[in-house]
Amino acid sequence: MAVFMVSQSEAKRLRPNLMAGVIFIAGIIGVYIAILVLNMVLTQDAYHLRELKIQQRNLATQVQIIQEEVDSLGSPQNLADAANRLGMVANPASVLLDIEKDKVFGSPKPADPSKVTLASGNLVPNSVMGTTSEFSAATVASTEVDEGVAPLVSGGSEVVLASGLIPASPTR
Amino acid sequence: MSSPAKLIRRLGVFVALLALIVVMLGLRLVDFQVVRAAEIQQESMKARSVLNTLTALRGQIVDSQDQVLARTVFRYDVNVAPKNVGPVFKTVDGVKIELSVEQITRELAAILGLPFEEIAPKLIGDSEYANIAKKVNADIYNQIRDLGIPWVYTDTFSDRLYPDGAVAGNVIGFVGADGTPLAGLELQYNPCLAGVDGQEAFERSPDGVRIPSSTITTQPTEDGGTLKLTIDSNLQFFAQQVMADTVNDTGAKWASAIVMEAKTGRVLAAAEAPSVDPNDPAGVEAADRGSRIFQTAFEPGSIMKSLTAAMVVDTGTADEFDTRPAPDYMKLDFAGGSIKDSFDHEEYKLTLAGVLRYSSNTGISNFGIDIPSETRYKYLEKFGFGTESEIHFEGESSGILHPYKTWDKMTNYATMFGQGISVTTIQMASAYQAIANGGVRLDPVLVDSCTKSDGTVVQVAPQSSTRVVKESTADLTLELMEKVVEFGGVGKTAQIPGYRVGGKTGTAQLQEGTGYGSQYAISFYGIAPIEDPEFIVGVSIYKPIGASNSAGTTAPFKAIMQQVLKTYRVPPSTTKSRNIPSNKFGLADAPN
Repeated sequence: MAVFMVSQSEAKRLRPNLMAGVIFIAGIIGVYIAILVLNMVLTQDAYHLRELKIQQRNLATQVQIIQEEVDSLGSPQNLADAANRLGMVANPASVLLDIEKDKVFGSPKPADPSKVTLASGNLVPNSVMGTTSEFSAATVASTEVDEGVAPLVSGGSEVVLASGLIPASPTR
Repeated sequence: MSSPAKLIRRLGVFVALLALIVVMLGLRLVDFQVVRAAEIQQESMKARSVLNTLTALRGQIVDSQDQVLARTVFRYDVNVAPKNVGPVFKTVDGVKIELSVEQITRELAAILGLPFEEIAPKLIGDSEYANIAKKVNADIYNQIRDLGIPWVYTDTFSDRLYPDGAVAGNVIGFVGADGTPLAGLELQYNPCLAGVDGQEAFERSPDGVRIPSSTITTQPTEDGGTLKLTIDSNLQFFAQQVMADTVNDTGAKWASAIVMEAKTGRVLAAAEAPSVDPNDPAGVEAADRGSRIFQTAFEPGSIMKSLTAAMVVDTGTADEFDTRPAPDYMKLDFAGGSIKDSFDHEEYKLTLAGVLRYSSNTGISNFGIDIPSETRYKYLEKFGFGTESEIHFEGESSGILHPYKTWDKMTNYATMFGQGISVTTIQMASAYQAIANGGVRLDPVLVDSCTKSDGTVVQVAPQSSTRVVKESTADLTLELMEKVVEFGGVGKTAQIPGYRVGGKTGTAQLQEGTGYGSQYAISFYGIAPIEDPEFIVGVSIYKPIGASNSAGTTAPFKAIMQQVLKTYRVPPSTTKSRNIPSNKFGLADAPN
């Protein structure tokens, strides 16, 4: 290694350019700031992601709770119990209407509770039936369909009931 | 004044020292980065990384209408860390309040529905773990979480839920507490239902936040597939109601009913009583947890006579007008050999329809004995007896059909009226399906398909068919069976207004020790509508108290068949039955 003695003018000429130095330092600082900002954004996103995941989990739990309620309400056991509470009786005799051929199969008969061979209550166990239908004959009576629907008079139909009328459905 | 040489020496020393430091740092760097790199990296990863098992969800079991019969849900164990138990400070509406341990315990007790005294002792101690409640549902889990008690935490695990309880419970089966399938379709179709657990590794910061882009999934999760059954859960429920009612009324040990589609062999209902609720299999005795329809074989008795009649017709041995003598008691051509009818009567002259109508053992024997035993055996094989059904249910019985060469002289007769042979309900239903389907037996089907989590549908097994008897034979056999329902003593009670129904009663004496005892398995198998058969319904009642004939079976048969015809919108029959001779003189009765 050698050390050289130089003149003052030469030294001045050899001195590094201040501008270049400033640009260099500013560049480095700039890059660091950019990295910092990027990191902050990424970290923020990570926290945001975590929040969303927690939210997703909570919603999934909520879905499960509601699903189980729906399952329970939709189980045949609940439906049978509810129908029974409303005093509904299954009618084994069926009457089919063939719209295309304009034909009626079978003769309609009202359901007779005394002749139904089935026990009225539910006999099939279900230990997870947590939510059950709340309505009963009393609660349904209070929300009875209004009298806006007039029974349709059957116009020369082949179907003849004891009353001579086909009862209109309350559905509108 | 220092000379340039001195300056150069000093600089030399400085540079040498600098170089030494660089070399030392370099060596250290090589040591860290190369020599011990793997070890250090592993250690660092250990501090940050988490290896997570991603549990695959077990697939659903659904009925033919996609109603869910089994699903996977999450359940939670509630635990505490007694070591950290202490009062909790909370800010409610800007006011900081202190919740004492006792207050918290009371709240926990109220949410969990447990007595305070049960929870309180579990919170004392130095341990980090004490369980206070197991398997709570999501609603309770949410309430516990909302309490925000730092020393109460939960463990999540997946569990099996059967929303419809015991509906089809006997065929669905159940899983153990750890999720292992233990019975029924859960066990048989585990490869479809069980998924493949996945695994992921990721890094996280000290405060538990996952470091972005650090997740490496080493094994993707594959959730279990959906198993679709041929069962119609509403019909199944109805049939189970009827069966439960039947067991209650008759005091029978058990009762079962099967509904099969005639043209497809699909099982629409397989109902049993007692039935098992898969949510709580321990609620019934071990013997009632399986499916007797597949797993229990018994001597069928007279329901076999329709099949023997089909053999007589198919072999050309007799037609619907030929008659045979049918006394109530008949000695056979070997020592000690005799056959009795179930009731005393003078000697009848019966056609095949008459034999079925009066369920005459002597009559069917006099027709059937003209067919060589080998031929009858081959028919029985083709009807599906002696081998497991193609459903191959878990633990399925193949029944007993001894090779004809080993039949003794009595068995040679007895097999014609359903003794000396044992069959399962699924076998008998499948044999009747052949009669209802123009003589072609289709493999019975209980599971329709398995849909994998990626949507690919796997048909469980291709269905094969066997021609058992000629189409004309099958059609005539249906007409013969119709006479049972038209005129038969018990059979008449199976009539369904508006529909042509055919069927056969069965009252099989059960073996006790070496002989037959005083208890019975009574059955009724029927087909409707006769002019174009759609459904087979079979009902069996095992050891009904006090019953010595099949009268108890027709009411449940009728209720189920009526429900089936209604559910599937089968229009009532428009044709009348043919006037085939069936009375005790071999003549036709006036139609009803």
